[in-house]
Formats: sequence, structure tokens, C-alpha cells
Amino acid sequence: MKITKLLAFAAFCLPMLASALDGVEILKKVDRNLEPESYESYRKLINIEPDGTKKEFVIYSVKKGKDQVATLFLSPTSDKGRSTLRQGDNMWLYIPSVGKPMRITSLQSITGGVFNNADIMRLDYAVEYDVKAIEEKGDLYLLDLKAKTGEVAYDNLKMKVDKKLLLPTEIEAYASSGMLMKTLRFKDVKDFGGGIKRPATIETDSPLYKDFKSVMLYSGLKKKDFADEVFTQGFMARMEELRK
Amino acid sequence: MNSPATTLAAAMLLATGLFNHAGAEEFKFDASEFEKKIVEFSGYVEQKEEGLKLRSNTPAYTLAYPGAADRDWLLRSTSTLDASAKLNLDPLVADLRVQASYATDPLVNLTSNPKIMEGGVRWSAAPGLSFDAGKRVQRWGKGYAWTTVGYVERAKDSSDPTAAREGFEMASTEWTKSLSGPISTIGFTGLVVPTNDSMNADFGQTRHLNPAAKLYLLAMDTDIDFMWRGKGAKPQSYGVDFSRNISTALEVHGEWSRTLDAPRNTVSASGVVSSQTTDYTSWLLGVRYLTQGEVTWIGEYYRNGNGYSASELGDYYQFLDTALAPNASSTLANKARTVAQSGYGKPNPGRDYLYVKASASEPFGWLYGAASLAAMTNLNDGSWQVTPEVSYTGFNNIELRARVIVLGGQSNTEFGEKVSSSRLELTAKIFF
Repeated sequence: MKITKLLAFAAFCLPMLASALDGVEILKKVDRNLEPESYESYRKLINIEPDGTKKEFVIYSVKKGKDQVATLFLSPTSDKGRSTLRQGDNMWLYIPSVGKPMRITSLQSITGGVFNNADIMRLDYAVEYDVKAIEEKGDLYLLDLKAKTGEVAYDNLKMKVDKKLLLPTEIEAYASSGMLMKTLRFKDVKDFGGGIKRPATIETDSPLYKDFKSVMLYSGLKKKDFADEVFTQGFMARMEELRK
Repeated sequence: MNSPATTLAAAMLLATGLFNHAGAEEFKFDASEFEKKIVEFSGYVEQKEEGLKLRSNTPAYTLAYPGAADRDWLLRSTSTLDASAKLNLDPLVADLRVQASYATDPLVNLTSNPKIMEGGVRWSAAPGLSFDAGKRVQRWGKGYAWTTVGYVERAKDSSDPTAAREGFEMASTEWTKSLSGPISTIGFTGLVVPTNDSMNADFGQTRHLNPAAKLYLLAMDTDIDFMWRGKGAKPQSYGVDFSRNISTALEVHGEWSRTLDAPRNTVSASGVVSSQTTDYTSWLLGVRYLTQGEVTWIGEYYRNGNGYSASELGDYYQFLDTALAPNASSTLANKARTVAQSGYGKPNPGRDYLYVKASASEPFGWLYGAASLAAMTNLNDGSWQVTPEVSYTGFNNIELRARVIVLGGQSNTEFGEKVSSSRLELTAKIFF
């Protein structure tokens, strides 16, 4: 009798397990389609105010493995030479005039505007999130993602994924209170070479920043490997050495 | 023949197309525009306007403006040029940062000739190994307002802790290794700061090599540094610091430092100077917390082991009162000036301090704006300093800052005896 119940329970759970596995697999593919595990890229961040006024930042980014990211500010001149480092949940900011790395948190924003530090130094989604649910809707997969720990910037993500390209088209980010913090829209799928084809533009807005918009543009994204020591505090002042 | 409706529709389509095209152009980005240059120049010009409400009846006023008539207000204007050049010859990098300034007020005109703030050559043998020689800034410690382990750097100004400071001439090497396991990074910095009467004279004027070292660990998500400075122009010191994010919004940090055989001078109210050597311990503990309303709170307690108690500071101020009185002898006045240059003249010479700062980035939706309120108190004598500040970085390559520093305390207390009771600062910095 017990065995029958167990089998019935297993039969009931199997589709859910299969679904979860599919969701994780899809999320991992989304991660790899967005970026190689180790890469370098250039990004332009544009903050657009309600009156159309813009402020732009250009950053050089490198990533290695699951949880190591570093960035270097190239523009504007007032921010040039600033660098950031992420190792898992640890984040630091180095400002040349201050002369030493300072710990920062994921919810702060070094650029101002809608993008915060976690957006700028994003890790793979599969590293930070579990797939809570997945469903299909037309050409899209709808993934409901739950943060693995309380250290993650957004507690919950609702991700729309293009079934064919396995790339996100839209992500809504929610706080643990259920409040919508921002919406990211992925646009302008472009071939970066080396087998990397992904959206070159991410637009975001937030109910917390009414009528403001921030845009992230990608260029020069390519697979590249780096020494582990690049992702240490000691290297933050030397980030420029990576650029050839 | 086209109808007006068709023409209008076509015009709208064209306009939409043009608009979209403009939009697409607007968001164009080509990384090749940001290729690395072999030679780079940058810098800033800064204009600072200050209004000081003076305490002309204090000894600090007499020390700062000897012989000047009493006055309540002083307006000061300071222009600064800071220029940098960098030569990227991979794996060698040579750089130079020079600063010159001109300050004028009705009592004093000060011209600072171009001075090298930093400059030297770095050889990066590998990502984890570099060698450096030149005038460099080494900032050690995790404290925000103070540091107890700044063994090879100029004193931090707790009123403006993030301000750039001049370096010391030194040779250093830095080695870093990433590991797997609970200790994910280990780093070692070794350096010497040679001193004699012409090199690093403000570090020490005796002939010494002044070695110092730092061992850094990132262990279980905690930054930990062990630091040491050998006996030389300054006494031997060793210490430890740490910093850790407890959550996405909370960081804690601390420092502990021990100094051996350090000189300590005290002066009695009657002017008797006593000198002794002592071992002392300094430490600080701090937190940084980001609220849901995006207000960052920084709190720090600082124990200055070689600092002066309230009564010692009181005696010092009483002595200055006597020694700098109009009818005092010049010998006594000179003695007062010498004593003021000793430990009493440090930015925060007291023993126990508390610092609290609340700052908000983009308060009330003010994009690129920031506002803060910082308060610091000498816990021993109850004197205090409060600094409200606003800044704006919304214009490309321009930083604007306005702040007021208000100081209070009874007579013969640290902040009650400073040369000004309040100061308004307006600063514009243009980067190029």
C-alpha cells in the first residue's frame, strides 16, 4: 500500500521535476547565449531624464567563471579610472583619488539612474536564481525566478524568453515585498562574432524613477580568459592594463 | 492622385521612420572610439569660495593670523589646478600628477607652487605581481572618518575623509594570489619609505629606510589586513583591520593598532612641557547601512590611544591663552607655537570620538544630486562639529559641492577652540 502511494506521489511530482529541470536548462542556455562564461565587453550606460537630458558612462567589463566581475570606467572624464570588483556577493569600488577599495552594496548605484551595482556587475542568472515555475505562452517561455539567498539584489524575477533564440526579451525585477523595482527590455539582437548573438541594447525603467529611463549598449563583446588575480582588490588600480 | 489623408499618413510614417532612425542613431555605440591611448592627459580645475565666521578671541586665531586685528568674517578664494599625465608602455606605466593652487583672503595670500602629488613607474610583471617606485599614496585601513593603521600616509582629514592627499616617495612590491577554499585571495605588499633631510622630510628627517608591509586576506567573505611598520623615523606599529558585508545593505568594519615607544608630549596650564615614550593602542569600529529609503548611514567610534584627555586638552588651551595673550613674552609665545606643532596640532588630538553620517544619493528624485549630514563629537569634552552638504554631478565633467561646517563646544574644548565657529564652502570642480 505504502509503495503504491509512493509511486502515485512520484508520478504526481515527476512533471514538476521535469519542468524544473527544463527551466534550469533554459536559464543556463539564456546565460550562455547572453555572454560567454569568461569575456570582455564595452558598455555605454545612458541615463535619460524626463526632459530628455542624458548622461553617459562608458565602462570596460571583464568576467570570469561564475561569480567574478570587474569593470573600469572610461568616460566621463570625472569618473575615468574608477573600477569596481565583484566576487560573489562581495563588491568593492575603487576611486583613484580615494586610493583604496571600499565595500559597496548591490542595491547602490555608482552611476546614478535606474541601473544599480548588481545590474552593472551582473552574474549569471542561474548562479543567483532558482527556477520557481516555467510556462509557455506563444513564442515565449515565462520563467519565474526566485533568489537563492537574501544577498541577491532582487528577490524575484519574471523573465520572458524568446523560445527560438533562447534570449530574454523582458525581465521584471521584484523586491521581497512584491514591489516592482524595475523592468528590463532586451532589444536589437546583434551578431558580435565568435558565435555570440545577443541583444545589444537593454532599456530599463522603474516605478521608483518615474519617467526616467536608462539604457545599456553593448559593443566589443568577446570571449576572453583572464588570470584569477585580475579579480582581486590589488588589481583594481591596474584594470587599464587589460585593455590592449 | 494622393488624398490629403494619404499624404498626411505618408508624412507621419516618414516622421515616425525618421524619429525611429534618430532614436537608433541616438543609441549607437562603437567601442573602437575608446581604444587605449599610449599617452593620456587629464586633470581638473577647482574653484573654492569660503566664508569663515571667525573666533578672533581664541588662541587658534592668534596662531593662524599672528598680529592680525580682530575680525568676525573672512572670505577666502582658492583656485587649484591638478594635472595628470600617463604613459602606457605595457608592461610599464609611468605617471605624474602635479598640483598648484593660489589662495587669497584679506589676511593671507598663499601661492602653492606646482607640487608633485603622485608620480612614478610601475612594472606589472604579471596580474598578481607588480613593482613600483615613485611618489605614491598608500591608504591602509577600513575606517571612513579616521584610520588607526595609516602607517605610511599623511593624516586623514575627518572633515573631508575622501579628499585626495599627497603621497610619499617609496618603492613597493605587490603580490596577489587567488585561491580556492575559505581564503579566496591572499596578497602581500612590501615597501620602503626612505627618509633623510631632503627625501620625505615630512615623514621623518632622520636617515631611515622605514620598511612597512601589509598582508591581505579575503577569508570567508571578509577583508582582513595585517599591517606592520618597522621602527625608523616613526615608531614601530602593527595592526589589523577587517570589513565585511553582513547583508546587501549592511557593512561592518574595524581596525586595531598597537604602537611601541611612541613619543608623547603634554603641557600643563602653566607651560611645563613633559615628554615621555609610551606604548599605546588605537582602534575603531564602524558600520555602514543602506536603508530601504536609500539613505546610507555611517557610524564610527574611534579610540585614539595616544590622544589627549579632556583635562589635558583643557590645560593646553589654558596655556595657549596665557602664552599668546598680548602682554605675554615672545619666548612664551614661541613656546606656544612649538607646542601647537606637536601632537596637539593634529586634526583630532582627543582620545574618544564618535562620527555619524547620513547621506542620500538622489534624494527626492534629484538625479545626480546627493545630500548628507555628518556629525562628529569629541566624547571626552563634549565639543562637536556638524556638516550638512549637498553636491551635484549632473553636468558632464563638473562637480558642484556646497557645505557648511558648524563647530560648537565650551571654551577649552577641541571644537570650541577652533579658529572658526562656522564655515561655508562652495566648490566647483571641472574635469578635463
